[in-house]
Amino acid sequence: MGRASGERRCREYCSSKIVAMVLKVFFPSCCSSAESGILIGRWISEQNSAVILAVVHFPFIPVQVKQYLSEVQRVTKVSVSVLGSWSNSKQEKEESLSEFLEDLGTIFSHEPWIQISKEGDSKFWSCSTLQKHCNNPKEEEIILVYYDQRKVMLSHLHPPLDTATSTDHKADDASKLSAIFDTVAKSKVLFMTDRYDDGPIKLTHWQSDGVEASIIVELMKQASVPACMLLTFLVSLVSGICRSRVLTFWPLSFLWSKLSTCEQLGHRLQHLQVISSNKKAQTQTQLMRKANIFVSLLIDVALGILLMSWLYRKNRIGHLADTLIPMADHVAEELQDLLQWLMGAPAGLKMNRALDQVLGRFFLYHIHLWISYIHLMSPFIEMILWYVGLSACLGLTVALCILSDIIALLTFHIYCFYVYGARLYCLKIYGLSSLWRLFRGKKWNVLRQRVDSCSYDLDQLFIGTLLFTILLFLLPTTALYYLVFTLLRLLVVIVQGLIHLLVDLIDSLPLYSIILRLCRSYRLAAGVKFRVLEQRDGKPLRLLMQINPLSYGSVVQTYRLPTYSCYPKDSWASLCKKLFLGELIYPWKHKGEKQD
Amino acid sequence: MRRGRGAAEAAVAGPGPRVPGRPSPPPPPPRPGEMEPVPGRRWQKVLYERQPFPDNYVDQRFLEELRKNVHARRYRYRAVVFQSGAVVQQLCSVCVFVVTWWYMDAGTLSPQELFAAALVSSLLGYILFDAVDGGAGRRESGRTRWADLKSTLVFTAFTYGFSPVLKTLTESISTDTIYAMSALMLLGHLIFFDYGANAAIVSSTLSLNMAIFASVCLASRLPRSLHAFVVVTFAMQIFALWPMLQKKLKAQTPRCYVGVTVLFALAALAGLATVSSVGAVLFASLLLAISCLCPYCLIRLQLLKDNIHGPWDEAEIKEDLSRFLM
Repeated sequence: MGRASGERRCREYCSSKIVAMVLKVFFPSCCSSAESGILIGRWISEQNSAVILAVVHFPFIPVQVKQYLSEVQRVTKVSVSVLGSWSNSKQEKEESLSEFLEDLGTIFSHEPWIQISKEGDSKFWSCSTLQKHCNNPKEEEIILVYYDQRKVMLSHLHPPLDTATSTDHKADDASKLSAIFDTVAKSKVLFMTDRYDDGPIKLTHWQSDGVEASIIVELMKQASVPACMLLTFLVSLVSGICRSRVLTFWPLSFLWSKLSTCEQLGHRLQHLQVISSNKKAQTQTQLMRKANIFVSLLIDVALGILLMSWLYRKNRIGHLADTLIPMADHVAEELQDLLQWLMGAPAGLKMNRALDQVLGRFFLYHIHLWISYIHLMSPFIEMILWYVGLSACLGLTVALCILSDIIALLTFHIYCFYVYGARLYCLKIYGLSSLWRLFRGKKWNVLRQRVDSCSYDLDQLFIGTLLFTILLFLLPTTALYYLVFTLLRLLVVIVQGLIHLLVDLIDSLPLYSIILRLCRSYRLAAGVKFRVLEQRDGKPLRLLMQINPLSYGSVVQTYRLPTYSCYPKDSWASLCKKLFLGELIYPWKHKGEKQD
Repeated sequence: MRRGRGAAEAAVAGPGPRVPGRPSPPPPPPRPGEMEPVPGRRWQKVLYERQPFPDNYVDQRFLEELRKNVHARRYRYRAVVFQSGAVVQQLCSVCVFVVTWWYMDAGTLSPQELFAAALVSSLLGYILFDAVDGGAGRRESGRTRWADLKSTLVFTAFTYGFSPVLKTLTESISTDTIYAMSALMLLGHLIFFDYGANAAIVSSTLSLNMAIFASVCLASRLPRSLHAFVVVTFAMQIFALWPMLQKKLKAQTPRCYVGVTVLFALAALAGLATVSSVGAVLFASLLLAISCLCPYCLIRLQLLKDNIHGPWDEAEIKEDLSRFLM
């Protein structure tokens, strides 16, 4: 809280100064102990600020420096130029040196020419500008801003998420900041030169600690190319098989689309394709996406293997199979009891006895079929579970999806009951609503989308009213069956929904970004804050720029991986309306399929 | 009471435009000082000219346009009694239906007998329907006999097919509920029936549907499906076909219609008397009240009518504007 307010205050401070045309010099903190030389950097004229990238030491040949700079400019496409001079005198000030530095300004013409000098023991730096072509040599205020070159180079500035709502002022600030960040990030090539390289020019800037430590990384880089090629080949082989004609003709393709395991596998296949593609990630977002997918896949598979190792120890599969069949039996028995209860006079409701008996017997027969089917299956259940459990090595999400599918298959009878009940109820509701209009002598005008009055024939009226009466008196019975089975169905759907929520969570969580935020918080920047180092009259204000990390919420929001599952699109009200009208609801995905 | 008025209104050829319930209060009389502010100018009832009068000024001529009881009609007692016959007929129809159902429920009337009687009377009525106007109505409507036969077949087939369903339809619902529902539906049938009055509440479709609903409800309480079938068919005849014949009789042979009405009322009374003598007495007094007392009241109350009309009335479009639609 305090930090945020401090940042805001600093920002306001800076922006208010910008209005008064303050010269800002962004100085890399690693160069503060460099030897005297000239400053190389980029001049951003619209912000009246200079971003210093490196210091070139004496001695140098101006032509070589110019050549070097043009080369850098060609590679990085940043207009790098000599901005001024830098003197770091350990001893007392030498008059000749300062004069020499001023003369340099005539060789490298830059407007304004910045002169920064640091006295040996004093904490305060002096900084001045030289403007030769300006007639009024007014004293400009200068702010020295220190920045960590490495952090700024590596960090990725995130624009504020609420750009639409934020004021222009804020957006303006963000674009200014991003210009500085861009400048530093683009001139990465400049920092590649090693300290021990013997070039014509000696530079001081941030340098990596060398390449010795990253031999393993280099090896992995070398190995990753054939690995990626192999992976690509395998993935294309698998997807080719999946797309072959044998597996896509009608009933099978229908079956695939209903099994959540297949959906999840397809999703993972896409992820593999993304990872193994040879193309280099173009932008930061794509790179992060790749990394996120990779880490998510890795963790998923690790969890899956953990689960598998737990499952296959101590014959747990066998135990599971032994409990599964009695459980299914138990559910069927409970359903039978429920149906018997419904066939009586449940809760003292006035039901139509004949229809009640017919419906009850129909459903009982269905359960009978189901139980015999389960018993037919029971010898093979353990084997099936054993083989299915192997798929856990493909990832925890796949295992969870298989669990969801098994639940769907084992509660298939409930789904059937629900569909029968809903269809019957829907028929009645629609019949009743249209016959009620007939009862009042009205009809639905399709062309005008309204209810019009209509004169019916006598026989139409008679049959309509007869049917209306019959449907009205049979409605409570149907509605009760529909209600009970809808509740059961909703229970199953909620369980499946929870499983899918978990799968979606694993699928969509940007784990790499979160780890990055945790360990290298500067890599994901949301903005900057300034800390005042020194402030004294007559001396330039010195600020330290620190990077504000992105909050965890916006990390997840920005780098969330897209998932395949369709969330329920309708609101609670429309869901209730659908339930009332007896339309079939599929909150998650189309589930339930015929086994044979 | 309500029926009596409706029929009485229908007695005169169509109701006139509506009389506004409360006329708007007359504007305040002009104060003496303001009577004639400018002697030379007369007040005009226009808004498009600037006049030297206050806004609420009216002159002496204002009340000259007051008229009273423009739409009041003078009814003849005989005509009103004749028209009330429609209400009496309908009440009797409901009564006959309920009494018949009662007999069926008690088991004293076998379904075969009722079916035969209904069939014979239907055939008679069918012949009479064409004979009364010499087939003019049939030629006008263009309805063939084949269509009649088809409708009859549809009625019988559907009723016969559904009669087992009807029998078990309301088994679990208590008898009192069914009675209440049937009574309500029959009352609705009487309320919404088209007695000839031109009112918004009249809906012959709704009225017929309510009668069918009531008959189905009552039929479902009968012991066997054949009973249910016969009762529903009978209801169809008495509530749908019989009013059609009545209307034709009333238009063609008013004398005969009076005779039929009296006979039908007597038959209904006799039937009711065998079930309940108190009910018969009450029903008879109701019929008398509707056919004799209500017309008398209407004519007497007509004398007390005091409607005023004037320039303050709402504008009313009297012309037929349909020619402008072309």
